[in-house]
Amino acid sequence: MRFFSRSVLCPFLAVALMQAVPALSADAEADALSLESAPEATPERARNTKLFIEGSIGNASQRYLSQSQDIWRASLDFSHSARLGPGWRGVISDRLDHIYPADAGADATVNSLREAYLSWQSDGGNTVVELGRINLRYGPGYGYNPTDFFRDGSLRTLTTANPFALRENRLGTGMLRAQRLWSDGSLSVAYSPKLADRPSSDGWSLDLGSTNNRDRALVALSTQFSQRVSTQLLAYKEQGMSPTLGASLTALLSDAAVAHLEWSRGSEPDLLSRALVLPGVAAARNRFAGGITYTTLGKLSVTAEYQYNGFALNQSDWAALGITSATQVAYLLEAQRRQELAPRQAYLVYVTQKSLGLKDLDLTAFLRVNAGDHSQLAWVELRHHWPSFDLAFQLQQHIGSPTSEFGILPDRRVVQVLGAYYF
Amino acid sequence: MKSLGLFLFSFLLVHGLAWAAPSADEILAASDSIRNPGRPFSVTVTLTEFQAGKQVDTSTLVSYSRTQQNGQFASLIRFVLPARDAGKLMLKNGNDMWFFDPASKASVRLSPQQRLLGQASNGDVATVNLAKDYKATLVGDEEIQDGERRTRKAHKLALTAAAPDVTYASIEMWVDAVNNRPLKARFFAESSRLLKTAYYRRFQPQLGAERPTETVIIDGLNPQSVTLMRFSDYAARGIPDTWLQRDYLPSFQPE
Repeated sequence: MRFFSRSVLCPFLAVALMQAVPALSADAEADALSLESAPEATPERARNTKLFIEGSIGNASQRYLSQSQDIWRASLDFSHSARLGPGWRGVISDRLDHIYPADAGADATVNSLREAYLSWQSDGGNTVVELGRINLRYGPGYGYNPTDFFRDGSLRTLTTANPFALRENRLGTGMLRAQRLWSDGSLSVAYSPKLADRPSSDGWSLDLGSTNNRDRALVALSTQFSQRVSTQLLAYKEQGMSPTLGASLTALLSDAAVAHLEWSRGSEPDLLSRALVLPGVAAARNRFAGGITYTTLGKLSVTAEYQYNGFALNQSDWAALGITSATQVAYLLEAQRRQELAPRQAYLVYVTQKSLGLKDLDLTAFLRVNAGDHSQLAWVELRHHWPSFDLAFQLQQHIGSPTSEFGILPDRRVVQVLGAYYF
Repeated sequence: MKSLGLFLFSFLLVHGLAWAAPSADEILAASDSIRNPGRPFSVTVTLTEFQAGKQVDTSTLVSYSRTQQNGQFASLIRFVLPARDAGKLMLKNGNDMWFFDPASKASVRLSPQQRLLGQASNGDVATVNLAKDYKATLVGDEEIQDGERRTRKAHKLALTAAAPDVTYASIEMWVDAVNNRPLKARFFAESSRLLKTAYYRRFQPQLGAERPTETVIIDGLNPQSVTLMRFSDYAARGIPDTWLQRDYLPSFQPE
């Protein structure tokens, strides 16, 4: 009887389902066709201004103190691009941060004039000339960019450990830049003069001393070999130093995978000599970053990256510094200021998951690993989007022995809630 | 004389038939030219997302598109709304796909799968030139309900990928038998899984032809998930080759 009911009912159910599914689908299609679009955006909303306020509150557990430290921040972020005439455009981008507690020796309120420049381009867009403070960024690397030659000294405030978010806060460099484009490539030349001697700790300073404290020049040639492969060749020269060469490549490996490579080679003092202002001898060495990003149909994107800095300390030299931790801290601060890789070799795994359970809930996480001392920085963010508002929860954990790169940091764990409102 | 008469009869018969029954590829090309103006243009796209009939999201973008010399359709998309995404750009020139964020100045190369995650992929359903990448076969004529729920006599075309790297492995397309207007399409993955169903509707005169100004896109896996794409402010405009590459993105000047 059981067999009978199964053998008879199953085909019956199957036939019934086969009939029902198209019917359901047809119903759904009929329902879909009765829907109406949202009103179109008004021209006022389509203006070229972006303005948002952001606030965060959290707590940092301390490695060297018994009590944890409350932290909070309020930020105002503004950018605007205006057409000034045929081919002419003006761009301004500014950010104001009030940070508690302030970094040692720094103002609690810090204004960063990120960009302020005039841009002109010819009718067909073949020629572009720009003058002013410009955030000129090169390099496809996720966590380390050896060919991003204008990165050093460009961060006035450190509001996140996320390398992608850090790039949004950095100062541009005062420069004159010209670019010539053709259908599958371009040549760009930039000259950045010395405009000030040293960085300023004044929160309202333009801080040209951080970005324009020496004469610099960069030539970049971009070529698209095919729709799957593109490259950049770069030559960089700064006052008193020999030229540095760089190259980068991105390639589409498959429907789901993209590879990136980035390399530079130059002759300069090592990072420790620069940190301790020692008369270091310049030597030619390499910097490198290379990785692969894989994306699944489930909206998960994973990037694995290997990073190398020939000017950084290797593990044994780092360990030798451990006798005086102040030297290690000075070294790490200089690496941070220059946005350099502090260890000789490191790994990064960067993960994003869109629509994690909820349509507007995104997960971003990364893990930085020092290949020498195996210390780690782990960072996780859950962010929910509403039409004009974001709410995020962030967790940052430093893992490692007290003499390691991440173990030496005063914060052991940082937890914060962040809200952003977009006007 | 008899043979000449036979020749003329054959000629008229063959060419008369050809005139009476265009090939499936010709029908597809005619349908493409209704969806896409034959010259470079920009259009504002308003996307409204629904879940189970309830509006859950809306976004606006401007698409700058042109057909390249190789027949490939290329587009540069500028995000307008929501405010958090304002000014971001997405470039698609065949398999050369980039995302640019003016805040970080970062240009990130995208894989086709990465691009499918966003709403931009819905643009392909509405604007891509299918005749270039697909071989069409006429399955037959059918009466179907169009996007405005009116019964139309339509040519049903079966499209199979003729080029590598296309987004959809096969497509079923219904084209109005009277005027070659695209009415409905079903987009399939290589596994034959239905990915999307699209209805083209609200035909209005735009850039010299009656074109669909709204596309209803129904998710193949979850028919309760629906996206409406409204097209407005069509404008013919020059879009130079140089715009459609990674290096131009930081210099893009929106109007």
